Amino acid sequence: MADYSNKLYYQLEQETGIQTGYTRTGSIFLAQTQDRLISLKRINAGLNVIGIPSEIISPKKVAELHHLLNVHDLVGAMHVPEDAVVSSADVALALASAASQNGVQIYDRTSVLHVMVKKGQVTGVETDKGQIECQYFVNCAGQWAYELGLSNEEPVSIPLHACEHFYLLTRPLETPLQSSTPTIVDADGRIYIRNWQGGILSGGFEKNPKPIFTEGKNQLEIQNLQEDWDHFEPLLSSLLRRMPELETLEIMKLVNCPETFTPDMRCIMGESPAVQGYFVLAGMNSAGLSFGGGAGKYLAEWMVHGYPSENVWELDLKRFGALQSSRTFLRHRVMEVMPLMYDLKVPRWDFQTGRQLRTSPLYDRLDAQGARWMEKHGFERPKYFVPPDKDLLALEQSKTFYKPDWFDIVESEVKCCKEAVCVIDMSSFTKFEITSTGDQALEVLQYLFSNDLDVPVGHIVHTGMLNEGGGYENDCSIARLNKRSFFMISPTDQQVHCWAWLKKHMPKDSNLLLEDVTWKYTALNLIGPRAVDVLSELSYAPMTPDHFPSLFCKEMSVGYANGIRVMSMTHTGEPGFMLYIPIEYALHVYNEVMSVGQKYGIRNAGYYALRSLRIEKFFAFWGQDINNLTTPLECGRESRVKLEKGMDFIGRDALLQQKQNGVYKRLTMSILDDHDSDLDLWPWWGEPIYRNGQYVGKTTSSAYSYSLERHVCLGFVHNFSEDTGEEQVVTADFINRGEYEIDIAGYRFQAKAKLYPVASLFTQKRRKDDMELSDLHGK
Amino acid sequence: MPAPTQLFFPLIRNCELSRIYGTACYCHHKHLCCSSSYIPQSRLRYTPHPAYATFCRPKENWWQYTQGRRYASTPQKFYLTPPQVNSILKANEYSFKVPEFDGKNVSSILGFDSNQLPANAPIEDRRSAATCLQTRGMLLGVFDGHAGCACSQAVSERLFYYIAVSLLPHETLLEIENAVESGRALLPILQWHKHPNDYFSKEASKLYFNSLRTYWQELIDLNTGESTDIDVKEALINAFKRLDNDISLEAQVGDPNSFLNYLVLRVAFSGATACVAHVDGVDLHVANTGDSRAMLGVQEEDGSWSAVTLSNDHNAQNERELERLKLEHPKSEAKSVVKQDRLLGLLMPFRAFGDVKFKWSIDLQKRVIESGPDQLNDNEYTKFIPPNYHTPPYLTAEPEVTYHRLRPQDKFLVLATDGLWETMHRQDVVRIVGEYLTGMHHQQPIAVGGYKVTLGQMHGLLTERRTKMSSVFEDQNAATHLIRHAVGNNEFGTVDHERLSKMLSLPEELARMYRDDITIIVVQFNSHVVGAYQN
Repeated sequence: MADYSNKLYYQLEQETGIQTGYTRTGSIFLAQTQDRLISLKRINAGLNVIGIPSEIISPKKVAELHHLLNVHDLVGAMHVPEDAVVSSADVALALASAASQNGVQIYDRTSVLHVMVKKGQVTGVETDKGQIECQYFVNCAGQWAYELGLSNEEPVSIPLHACEHFYLLTRPLETPLQSSTPTIVDADGRIYIRNWQGGILSGGFEKNPKPIFTEGKNQLEIQNLQEDWDHFEPLLSSLLRRMPELETLEIMKLVNCPETFTPDMRCIMGESPAVQGYFVLAGMNSAGLSFGGGAGKYLAEWMVHGYPSENVWELDLKRFGALQSSRTFLRHRVMEVMPLMYDLKVPRWDFQTGRQLRTSPLYDRLDAQGARWMEKHGFERPKYFVPPDKDLLALEQSKTFYKPDWFDIVESEVKCCKEAVCVIDMSSFTKFEITSTGDQALEVLQYLFSNDLDVPVGHIVHTGMLNEGGGYENDCSIARLNKRSFFMISPTDQQVHCWAWLKKHMPKDSNLLLEDVTWKYTALNLIGPRAVDVLSELSYAPMTPDHFPSLFCKEMSVGYANGIRVMSMTHTGEPGFMLYIPIEYALHVYNEVMSVGQKYGIRNAGYYALRSLRIEKFFAFWGQDINNLTTPLECGRESRVKLEKGMDFIGRDALLQQKQNGVYKRLTMSILDDHDSDLDLWPWWGEPIYRNGQYVGKTTSSAYSYSLERHVCLGFVHNFSEDTGEEQVVTADFINRGEYEIDIAGYRFQAKAKLYPVASLFTQKRRKDDMELSDLHGK
Repeated sequence: MPAPTQLFFPLIRNCELSRIYGTACYCHHKHLCCSSSYIPQSRLRYTPHPAYATFCRPKENWWQYTQGRRYASTPQKFYLTPPQVNSILKANEYSFKVPEFDGKNVSSILGFDSNQLPANAPIEDRRSAATCLQTRGMLLGVFDGHAGCACSQAVSERLFYYIAVSLLPHETLLEIENAVESGRALLPILQWHKHPNDYFSKEASKLYFNSLRTYWQELIDLNTGESTDIDVKEALINAFKRLDNDISLEAQVGDPNSFLNYLVLRVAFSGATACVAHVDGVDLHVANTGDSRAMLGVQEEDGSWSAVTLSNDHNAQNERELERLKLEHPKSEAKSVVKQDRLLGLLMPFRAFGDVKFKWSIDLQKRVIESGPDQLNDNEYTKFIPPNYHTPPYLTAEPEVTYHRLRPQDKFLVLATDGLWETMHRQDVVRIVGEYLTGMHHQQPIAVGGYKVTLGQMHGLLTERRTKMSSVFEDQNAATHLIRHAVGNNEFGTVDHERLSKMLSLPEELARMYRDDITIIVVQFNSHVVGAYQN
């Protein structure tokens, strides 16, 4: 996105003739610590493969590029020579005039009162100077976008919040800085420094930000934006430490210019799930200028074509729901987000604020047993369980790019899943029920979903919910409860998106009933070979594969509780069951499972164990590995598509065409070969994949497989033409015949690429004569 | 008696000597509400009457006593560690922050800090704070009791209800009365902001309610029908007078319940001063009866602090009060009405709640005491009639009300009992609170505005400010911070831990000689809101 902005601003001056202050200065990102340098190396590797020149340089080289810098405490830096600076006001003016030239009308000094909506569709805008009719409305109100969204009759929740942001302007130096002086980002010092009219402009993202306008615009009257030097003091110290010679430089002013932040530090764009034609682009997290151009382009595509040319799920407004719209939540969260701008970004980071909003009824029980939590869509999920005799590092110390401190804990959980039985609370998954009075449910769903849902009652189908392009809008499991009713399980963060998609595509006049039952059920995942024993003991029903085959769903009693939906799947490929329990029974069922399970070695496990199990079995996950631009064919899931059944469904044409022409990328599993998990940097995601020394794609997720004793990375492999760089068809042969390497922060590790999971992982249970005493230990 | 002997010398040098010599003695009067009967006091509100002079310990003995102890004890063992000191200082601290976002109706008060440090056992000071729910505004008050805590306790519980009722419009009073009549739920009048140690008497609550109800019934009856704007000043005066009147009446009428009967008598025979602030937007009213004080902290444009007194002490140092007393009584009493700076030679404050000994006729006093319970009858003090008691009443609870319109430079208000004001100058009080609050909240921002400042200079300045800030970091409560200074300040005006620790380790029976009960409320104003009112 930033790259497009850069090109756009570069051209803008030529197209409009308006000075944008565009100067190619380059920028230098400093590292004071080894960890920061690793982080820069990872970014560097990522930049290089998309054609943006950048390099890691030594402190000595830094001093040559910028003579004012104190480099004694640096361990290295990243230099991006093509970075540029522009003047934001001038760019805005240039864009505006370019737009005007092309017939756009701009109303100055006009404030929007609210957006007019009829039947869920934007019809116009009510301003203080009258009405304007329109089909599309884009809310780009920056820090006021939240309020404007709420002013609608049916509110559009746009979770963002402003924080005061300070930057310093000085008079020119004695020998004014050259306009080509590179911009400095000293993230460890929390500051940025750039040339400004021969002097400097320097600001930063402090540890203790000051949120502002929580109450909205009316606060503007009483909160004048003052310079707060005491607040700026740490940043000023940091600036003088980086450039000691500036001591004598004269201050011009300290500017207080609020910036807007979002709950997850990514901007917000896309169409409102509630109102058609209501688009949003806001919450730029202080990167409005650098991402503005690119974001604008995607949004324009979105409005014209209905979807942007890149996957922007991570930026989609629909990743949030009303639950992130509390003012208190936003105020607290942005106080964490703003410092994070310059914090070290390490794998598996969890937000600490705005937590414990949605919890399962078992939360306290699990917490007391040592659960450590992560949050998804406001829902607390256990990561792993710390045994009573073990201590983990404090939050700040646990940040690492290497082997994490929970490694052994998760290992024992995984082992227990493989050899005995574990229980994981997975209540956060989005759960919908779709019913109809007639056969309509099936008809509609057959059109919306890519796999054949006309299965006998009690069967579960893995299926995609595809778009016209054949890409996954959602990847879910659907159980047929009876002839006319279906139970749908989707990823946690699909709650808003999937709802909106279904509502949009379901016939308006149907008697189809769509209900969000997420809150009604607590989900327990019983993973492991002994899950069968635990359940049959609790239900007095035979649970062996003969009676309860895989991907089967049945309502039955567990303990005293009746009406528990038991499904023979675990989202990991391991044997076991998912139990969907009406919440009032949750504690009872959990207690029964734990007490009966004791003799089978049951223990709690968390999502990290689940993740390791899932990835080693090549189970891709929507939102991480697959998205709306990846098709089932590209993930090797042809068997989950009803192409041959002669039924129409959304995306069918695209898939048929793809089937004929071949795919241009293929989800591949790479197993790292010469990687020492104790000493080497761990893969995360976003690492470049090289085939025969050529860049072919990036990883999308990774995990350590305790069974293979190797790291496993998932990622898409492309086939870029050596001459033109054009994408070519990827065949199985292409994948299989290649030497692969994964680049982790500049170090390349050999990898074996596979299109199918390692078969040995699926073989059930060791033979009797393999048993040993340790099998008798409680896990 | 574990008295740290070292203590006496520095204190005596610091002019305490005269005080101890002048007034220190064992005075045999039983405190009305506390069990300890012998309490040495250096600055009693009542001077011992000649009749009790024989109970006084001769000065020489006192001196020898301290001399003797000097060799006997090891002073080190009385030192309190800083955490111990803090736990004593913070035991009664309370902070209230007005909720930050209450819609557009943003309050002119940011919040308040309050705290008290006992010298008497039990403490005789009281404090109250409450938000008026049926009218706008907030009430804050400090009450300094004497001859026990019964009166100050009663006033702290009741006075705000009287004020709130006085402020209520006719319709609201009617609504409340109708609700009482028909047994419906009542409109809440006050939202109290109380420290857990601030208790309310459960037993008397019914009695108090009935008196209050009689008051509003009279207000309803008096209403002429025209809706007139309620004058806050008048309301405050009426409330004070009415409550004092009710205290007096309740004692005369008595109560069939013997516990309550004794209670209302103790309330009436003990006394209390009151200093109450009512803040509504930019309108600040201070009603004062007695010698507690309300002090406004004003920040000048150059950032310095100055004190504006919003109340007059009603004691012998106040010429106007002397004048008033002389006018209210016949010429023949001109010499006896105030003697040794005390009312009738006995009472330091010239206005107070309770203290019926200075209000009732001799007949009435005798009648009530005789018909009262034995405890009252056995008490020498209550039986004793002040000398030269010819034309009662000599004492009133009528407050003097000061009005002040808040300006943006008015940053805070300190309400405190005389325990604070006699140890610290008002200017120091305001400076210490002002610096504390700005340190905490950076309220005194630096602006470059036009001056030539280099980055280095600015950096130096900011670092200095930050170190200054960390020194006040210890207290989260402005009132606590002020008490720390009041008790622990040395000659240089900085807190001396050793001194603080000694003062706080004084045994209960000695503490009263070195200081009085201290009660402080610091109200912080919201300059933004106050400024917005102006525009």
